[in-house]
Amino acid sequence: MYNELIMDYAKLQKYKGKLEDALAQEGKNLSCGDEITLYVKIEENKIVDAKFEGIGCAISQASANLMIENIIGKNLDDVKMILENVLLMVKGEKYESDKLGLITKMEDIKNYPMRIKCFLLSWKTLELILKNIESS
Amino acid sequence: MKNLWDDFPALSRKINGNRLVYLDNAATTLKPKSVIENISHFYLNNFANVHRAVHTLSSESTLKLEEAREILASFLNANGEEIIFTSGTTMSINMIVESFIRSGFIKEGDNVLITAIEHHANFVPWVRLSKFFGFSVHFIKPTGRFGTIEEKDLLKFKEFNPKIVSVTAHSNVTGQVIDIEQLRKIFPNSILIVDAAQLMPHEKIDVKSLDIDFLAFSAHKMLGPSGVGILYAKKEHLENMEPFLYGGEMIDKVSFDNVTFNELPYKFEAGTPNIAGIIGFGEAIKYLETLGFDNIKNHICSLTTYALKKLSEIKGLEIYGPMDERHQGIISFNLEGVHPHDLAHLLDEKFGVAVRSGHHCAQPLMSILKQESNLKVFPYGTCRASFYIYNNNEDIDILVKGIKSIKEWFNV
Repeated sequence: MYNELIMDYAKLQKYKGKLEDALAQEGKNLSCGDEITLYVKIEENKIVDAKFEGIGCAISQASANLMIENIIGKNLDDVKMILENVLLMVKGEKYESDKLGLITKMEDIKNYPMRIKCFLLSWKTLELILKNIESS
Repeated sequence: MKNLWDDFPALSRKINGNRLVYLDNAATTLKPKSVIENISHFYLNNFANVHRAVHTLSSESTLKLEEAREILASFLNANGEEIIFTSGTTMSINMIVESFIRSGFIKEGDNVLITAIEHHANFVPWVRLSKFFGFSVHFIKPTGRFGTIEEKDLLKFKEFNPKIVSVTAHSNVTGQVIDIEQLRKIFPNSILIVDAAQLMPHEKIDVKSLDIDFLAFSAHKMLGPSGVGILYAKKEHLENMEPFLYGGEMIDKVSFDNVTFNELPYKFEAGTPNIAGIIGFGEAIKYLETLGFDNIKNHICSLTTYALKKLSEIKGLEIYGPMDERHQGIISFNLEGVHPHDLAHLLDEKFGVAVRSGHHCAQPLMSILKQESNLKVFPYGTCRASFYIYNNNEDIDILVKGIKSIKEWFNV
C-alpha cells in the first residue's frame, strides 16, 4: 500500500492550510478520531481552488492531496464524476480509470477494508460540500 | 512460562511470510484448542435450551451451564447466585447503571465518581444517563506521568464521600494497574464498582476480601469466547435491584396486572443465554488456573519490564503511562512523525506484528495525553502493544525491530 508516490503525496504541503472566502466543511473518521476541514472555492460552477487542514495518517493525507490536485480547475459535473469513480474504485467495482489519473495509484486500498475510511475521509467531506451546494 | 504455542493454532499462521506476533491482547486474546474443542463437543452432543425443558439434552446443557457458574463463582470467591451472565463488560456496566436508576439507588442530586481514564464503557453510561436523571458525575483527573492516577488524585475526593465510585482496575491505554484495596480504604462508604475487563486476565481478584460491590469483565479477553461477560454483585444489592431486562426465565409469576421475579441470579438473566459461550468460558478459566495466576502475572510483568526498557531506547518514541511497577501488560506509544494507523499497518504488513491503533475507546484520556505530549503533532490516538501468556521476549524484539525500520523508512 505504501508506495513511493503515496509517501510523497502524504508529505505534500502545497494544499495544506486555510482558504479564505471559500466553502468550508468538516469531516470526521469515527474509527480513529482524525478530522479534516476542506476548503473549496467555486466560481461559475468550477472549483478554482481548494485546501485542507487537519492531521491524519499517510493514507488520508495522500488521498486528500491527490483529490485536491485532481479537482482544481474542474467543473462540478466533472468533480461529481471523479467522486463516483473513486467510490467504485474502493469497492473493487468497474470504474473509468482515465477519469482518475494518479488517484489510481491508490487502487490497492480496496484490499484493506480497515483503511478505506482513512482513504475516503477527504472524499466523503467533498461529497458533503457537493450535497450542500445541490440542496441550496 | 512454558511454551504454549501448540495450544494456540493461530500462532502458527504466517502474515505475509512472517510468523504472527500477536500483541493485541488487550482488545481480545487468542483461544486455546481446549476451549474451542469444548464448545464444539458441546454443540455436537449436548446442546439444547437451558432451565426449562425436562428432556435429557436440556438437563445436560443446564448442568454444564451451572457448572460454569460455579467455576466463575469460586474463581472470584463469590457465590453462584451473585454471578450473572451477560454479553460482556459493556453490557454488565450498562445493566448496573440502568438498574440503579430503576431501583432508586441513584436519584437526582446523587454523586458518582469515575476517572478520566475510563474506557467509554464505564464513562458514557454514567455521563449520558446523568443528563436524563439529574445525578452528577465527577472525574478523578490523573496528575501523574501521561495519564497516571496518583494516590493524591484519589484523596482529593475523600471528603466528598461519593455515593458511587466506578473505576477501572487496569487502564486499557496506559496499562496502569489501580490499587483497589487502597481505593476501598479511601472510599469506605461508597458503592464500589470495578471494571476488571483488563485486570482479570492477568490477576486473580477476590471480591470478598477487597469488599467490591460490583465487578464486570469479559470472557474474550481471557481465552474465552466473545459475547460472554460476567457481572458479579453482592447478593444484598441484587435482592433490592430492579432487573434491567425483562422477559423469559427471569420471572416467577406473570398475570395480566402483575409480575414477580425469579430467584437470584436468574432474575437478571432474561432470555436464552450464550450457553455454549458460557461453558467455553468455564473451560478457559480451568486452562488459566492450571497455568496458575501467580505465574501469569509474573510472566506479564517480566514481558512489560523488558518491553519498556527496549522501547524507551527508541529515540522519538513517546511512551504513555507510569513506566514503573504499576505499568502492566499494556504499552501505548507514538512515534514522532508517524501516524499510529500507519505504524500499525506497516508492523502487520512487513513484520507480522498485530498491534492496535486508535483512541482505544478512551477519548477523554486522549485529550489528557495530548496536553502532555511533546510530539510536534499529537495524532489523537496511539499505538498499543499488549501481552498475554503466549508472548515472549522475541515477540518484543520483533516489535522493536519493526518500529526502528519504519522510523528509518519514514525518515523521522
